[in-house]
Amino acid sequence: MALEPIVVTRGLKKSFRSKHGVIRAVDGVELSVEPGEIFGFLGPNGAGKTTTLRMLTTLMPPDEGQAIVAGFNVATEPKKVRRSIGYVGQNGGSDRPATGRENLILQGRLYGMNATEARERAEELIRLLDLEDFADRIVYSYSGGQRRRLDVAIGLVNRPKVLFLDEPTTGLDLQNRANLWVQIKKLKSEGATIFLTTHYLEEADALSDRLAIMDHGRIVTEGTPEELKKEVANDCITIGVEHPVENVPVLKDLFKDRDYVLDMTEEQERLKLCVSDFATALPRVMGQLEQENIRLETVKLSETTLDDVFLQKTGYSLRDLTAEE
Amino acid sequence: MKLILDIGQLFKRKMLETLRNPIFIIVSMTTPIVYLALFAPLLNKLTNVPGFVPGHVLNVFIPGLLVIIAFLGGLFVGYTMIDEVKNGVVERMRVTPTSRFALLAGRVLRDLVNVTVIVVFFVLIALPFGFQVNILGFLVLLVLIAMMLIITSSFSNAMGLILGDEDKLSPVVQAINLPVLLLSGMLLPMELAPKWLQVIAHFNPAYYVVEAGRLLTAGHIFVPKVGYAFLFMVPTTVIVVAWATRAFQRSIA
Repeated sequence: MALEPIVVTRGLKKSFRSKHGVIRAVDGVELSVEPGEIFGFLGPNGAGKTTTLRMLTTLMPPDEGQAIVAGFNVATEPKKVRRSIGYVGQNGGSDRPATGRENLILQGRLYGMNATEARERAEELIRLLDLEDFADRIVYSYSGGQRRRLDVAIGLVNRPKVLFLDEPTTGLDLQNRANLWVQIKKLKSEGATIFLTTHYLEEADALSDRLAIMDHGRIVTEGTPEELKKEVANDCITIGVEHPVENVPVLKDLFKDRDYVLDMTEEQERLKLCVSDFATALPRVMGQLEQENIRLETVKLSETTLDDVFLQKTGYSLRDLTAEE
Repeated sequence: MKLILDIGQLFKRKMLETLRNPIFIIVSMTTPIVYLALFAPLLNKLTNVPGFVPGHVLNVFIPGLLVIIAFLGGLFVGYTMIDEVKNGVVERMRVTPTSRFALLAGRVLRDLVNVTVIVVFFVLIALPFGFQVNILGFLVLLVLIAMMLIITSSFSNAMGLILGDEDKLSPVVQAINLPVLLLSGMLLPMELAPKWLQVIAHFNPAYYVVEAGRLLTAGHIFVPKVGYAFLFMVPTTVIVVAWATRAFQRSIA
């Protein structure tokens, strides 16, 4: 893209002192976000995602390095950055004893809109995020999903050049999560640039145009979800055949030197073939079986996931980690 | 200009909160009435005791009570602040171009309105019981009471923001609450205290306000003790507000 990136960081660092010594929460982060894209920031809790976000949104000054957001330096021009961004923190931000509409109007006023502008903007956002049914109720009475949508609307009041969402769907059930994904995609289709952090693999995969994987304060890899998955190439075909005791060794021999088979393992009398590409490999595998006259009993395809990427880059699985929650 | 507008908006938000849930104000109003009904009668026989100037006993007791109202009216607001920190409200506002001072001032102003309403209401209630009050002196006392509230409310808000946890705020607030109350002579005049207690009391800004309050309501405005109260309260207010504003500027973990 020829346009200037909307977020650029160079060597961004932040450490905290704790009882156990200095923690390097963010340890040299380099990233750039292009206008109009959804940039996903994937990593486990404690990877430094939120700290990075807090620096980009002027909530916390960096120890070292530089961050330019919407053309302004977060350390030296925080007020200009604040005018240009929207932020929805992990804990939301809507004021619970007030109504949704009051929250939106107040936010407009804090950005310097007059009463009429603030009211009109609130109305627009109520429509944009489908808040009509509950906008005039006190936020205490909202469900988790309703509150989250209001939080996002509050983040959009000043028509930000970039909207930062910190773990936007944490704590939501599946249905509300899917609903929010739809809303976020809708915002993108209307031209918004969105920077979101998540520790959900599916979320990063479903939403991000580009994503960076963060671990221990550093970005370990960056790219589109497809690029990242292609790099790991972990599309596998697991086949079970009749008379496995005789047939599996035959098959092993057969597929040993095929160039489309990258890796082969035996799993409980079944054979797992990892291939570069399903579309070319699958017909060939089937053809070989037919040629040898070996009858197929089961077949299972497993596609590369972002977790495979994560595992390869960090040495551990994010799914195992988040499953414990 | 933007600063005043911001303070106005943030004050309106907090004021609406109070008006929607006036239970806080109602409870705050009942506490002094309970004191008036159940504690003030104990003092009736204490005329001619040191500190109890001739005249109605309520003229000793009520000014102290007004200062208690302001002191307590601000001291516990940090709990609401913690609730807002946990819900991300403070963070959301800190990412807007709003002045950090306005974030504090909007809250303190609401507490000030609450306390002023309660104080005036209470004086009106006490009048039929025999409390005599000099109007001009009372207005000067209101300024001192306002400073007392600004100090405790700013302090408690900033503490709530910094600590972010009710369990951490409680010991801090309690550590201040009792000593300041007991050493201010709010309930009984410090003239009754032994010398060493009187010496300690002189380090307590609330003591000066209570002493000044008794003189002011009796119409003694241009006396040294009133001057001392201002001498203590003005710098303390400035220092605490400046420190609390800084808490809103700094990052919160």
